[in-house]
Amino acid sequence: MTRRRIALLLAALVAASGVLPLLLLSVFGLQILRQRGERASQEALQAIAEQAAARVVTYISQQREMLRALAMAVGNEPDAERKFADVSLDAPSLGKLRLVLAETPATALPRSLTPAQIAAALRGKEVLSETYLADLVPAMDVCVPSGKPGRAVCTTLDLLELQRQVQRIRVGEQGYALAFDRTGRLLAAGAGSMRAAVLSGEPVAESSLATAFLKGAPAAVRFQNPPGRDVLAGWASLPDPAWTIAVEQPAEEALRGARSALGFLGLGALLTLVLSIVFGYLLARRMLATLELEERFRTAGQIAAGISHDLGHRLAILQQIEHQAATNDVDYLPRIRESLATEVGTMRRFVADFSDLTREVKPSDFMPIELNAFAESVRNGAQAYAAEAEVRLEVQHAPAPVWVLGDRYLLERAALNLARNAVEASNRGGSVRLRVEGGSGRAALAVEDHGAGIRPERIKELFESFSSTKRTGVHLGMGLPNVQRIVVAHGGSVSVKSSLGKGSTFLVTLPGSGAQSSSPSAPATMP
Amino acid sequence: MWGALGEFSLGGRDPGLASIAEPWVFEKLVSLDDAGELKPLLAARVERLSGDAILVELRRDATFTDGTPVTDEDVIRSLQPSGLRVTRAETGLLIESRGRGLPADALLLQAHVFRESAGKLMGSGPFVVAGKTDTELHLVRRQPQPGRVNDVRLAAYPTPRDAFAHTLKGDANVIVDLESRWLEFFRGVPSLRIVRGSGHGTDAIVFNGKLARSERLRLAQVLASQQVRELAYGDAECSEKDGSNQGASLPPGAPLRILSWGPFERLALAARRALGDRGGDVTQVRPEEALARMRAGDFDMVTGRPFRWPPSSMALVWRSDAPDNLFGYSNPDLDRAIDARDWSAAEAALRDDPPAAFICTRGQLAIVDARIKNPRLGPYDVLESLPDWEVDQ
Repeated sequence: MTRRRIALLLAALVAASGVLPLLLLSVFGLQILRQRGERASQEALQAIAEQAAARVVTYISQQREMLRALAMAVGNEPDAERKFADVSLDAPSLGKLRLVLAETPATALPRSLTPAQIAAALRGKEVLSETYLADLVPAMDVCVPSGKPGRAVCTTLDLLELQRQVQRIRVGEQGYALAFDRTGRLLAAGAGSMRAAVLSGEPVAESSLATAFLKGAPAAVRFQNPPGRDVLAGWASLPDPAWTIAVEQPAEEALRGARSALGFLGLGALLTLVLSIVFGYLLARRMLATLELEERFRTAGQIAAGISHDLGHRLAILQQIEHQAATNDVDYLPRIRESLATEVGTMRRFVADFSDLTREVKPSDFMPIELNAFAESVRNGAQAYAAEAEVRLEVQHAPAPVWVLGDRYLLERAALNLARNAVEASNRGGSVRLRVEGGSGRAALAVEDHGAGIRPERIKELFESFSSTKRTGVHLGMGLPNVQRIVVAHGGSVSVKSSLGKGSTFLVTLPGSGAQSSSPSAPATMP
Repeated sequence: MWGALGEFSLGGRDPGLASIAEPWVFEKLVSLDDAGELKPLLAARVERLSGDAILVELRRDATFTDGTPVTDEDVIRSLQPSGLRVTRAETGLLIESRGRGLPADALLLQAHVFRESAGKLMGSGPFVVAGKTDTELHLVRRQPQPGRVNDVRLAAYPTPRDAFAHTLKGDANVIVDLESRWLEFFRGVPSLRIVRGSGHGTDAIVFNGKLARSERLRLAQVLASQQVRELAYGDAECSEKDGSNQGASLPPGAPLRILSWGPFERLALAARRALGDRGGDVTQVRPEEALARMRAGDFDMVTGRPFRWPPSSMALVWRSDAPDNLFGYSNPDLDRAIDARDWSAAEAALRDDPPAAFICTRGQLAIVDARIKNPRLGPYDVLESLPDWEVDQ
């Protein structure tokens, strides 16, 4: 695993453990904020609707009060008609006041009052009609007593001012108010696009909601209006006149503030997460670089210790040979020659071990390898060494060819290392088996010996560098760690099973690569 | 529009709303620019000569709807019913008023050029009538032009409510002759825009010419006041400055009856209040009845909207025996000033012996589809510039 990947992993771990909970908390908080924002917007719309409704009630009450006062003051004067006409100049909203008597022709009676209402008005009772649209504006017919039986003062209240008031209500940039009568007919619309319905009487989407609300149904506080816009709404109704006021605002605008806050907070949380990952990554890389440096020094120290130990051992032997040579005794000459040959071989293997350590595994060097043939090659390579130790080398083939992709040289070095260890662990006359397994996309080479076995506590540190217990002067302790390095770099693994007194099995598992053409087979050489 | 569409015929008895389309089908020789100067329409060139004569050179590319060119003879024949005499001159057509005291330019502004063919009138305007029902006059442009209005349907709705509703719904693209109080309906409607133009008529209380000059003077002083203006029009914009004379009062006398018609009821009531004890009955009648009673002299005062612009138009209303002078008004000083084309003197004569109390001149208001890029009203006929309107495509 590269230092960058480790750093990223560390940074992600830090972010996940530290920032993500915060992020989740933020999301939760934001959700609450959004809900509260919506509720606050709806309450504001509701308050505006109620204010508008209160104004309607006040306005109509004032109009009726003024009408009553005028009727009592003027209704019985001889020039009442003229004075009533003058009233319309000062109070146009009162409409054209007129006296209604029993003999007043039907054509001169207020059009929206029933005969029963007119009769009641002539008996001195105040009566009023439903709201209706007179020409262009909402109107309402009202009759009030004049103070004399059989005479009433009637008019058609012009509710243009109310219509204006409703239409002028603005909430934000796009919010508006609507007013409906008892039947759901639109009387005033702050939305220009809906104003045609005021005049035509065509129902709008909110008409049914308004009538239902007037009858006591719960207010629809959020719904989609005909253009498909999601709107928030506040509702208020008034019994006399039976109007319903709705104040609507597109949810997009009403919740813009909350959404902006949500956006900023979300962005902040995300930014924090990204920053924590970036800084975590940078810091982790620095820490890893430091650790790696320390590790290199430690490794160098271990290598130096191992090398100095082994080279010291070799040096002692060479000094003995030197002493023997210094005697100039011819009888020592064969022993000196033999010892020097041994030492040269040992030093070669020593150098080869180091050479293996420096060779990197590169996928570009991979080629197809058939493991049965590979095992034979390994046996050939280790055969001389085994024969010297009087150990028999056997190969147990897999029933079918087993293919892997790999660096043949390095894999052979690894396998030979395992074979050599197995030979060394075996007793004279013993045997070592190279067993090939394959199938299900998996390939394996097991190296079995029947030696003394490995102590369990020793097994866990087998693959650690410089941990060899042999220290015979030819073992640097890099063999098994190097085997593991090579196999892991091929995407495989190395495991060991051992039983004291019965022997050990090292199992190298590699990814299978399916059927391949035969690989070039080069003879393995003993490390 | 709302009201009766009427017949589409020049000089018809019942012109109705259809007359709005006359300038699009029947061209005039001239119209007015914003400064009140004559500008050529069917004419290629127009020149005022000394006296009252106007020299016009005809545009030679003008054709009637059947493709035949407009000739001098067509102009001579067309202008004759309008009280104009047209004679050939060396450089064009010389146009003079046949009636004494009626300015040629005022008459010329009302005269259309046409040719009669098979009992029908043809015009040389950019549009031709494609069809007509009781409620709709359909006109199409003779030669369609990209980016312009090529198809016009003049729709006459029965009530203002219908007209407004159809305009708000987008069925109609233009609505004219609005009162400012109705603008509320159209504010905030994205598809529509409000267009304003200069007003050429002044709401007035016209006096019966039989009233003594001194009384008319007092009446004008009392009625042309800010108080009357505010009572009658509220916050509507009137171009008149405050002409109230706080010290003015009326001598005792019989109450003055006010005849009112159309949209002038509030004006009549406001006037009556201003008259105090002299304010008599206000009678709201239909326009035809008002006309009949004016012709019979059966009124003391009557509401109306006489033209004030261009200045020469006052001759058609206030000059003694002018065709539109139904009020019995006669002022020799005014007649002399009109004959001399001295409009300043004419205005002074009107002030000295007022035929009416001029209360409020209001601008014209229209609602126009927002896709029309350059809508404008007037300057003479309210929609005369419609053929030049450009449409955003």
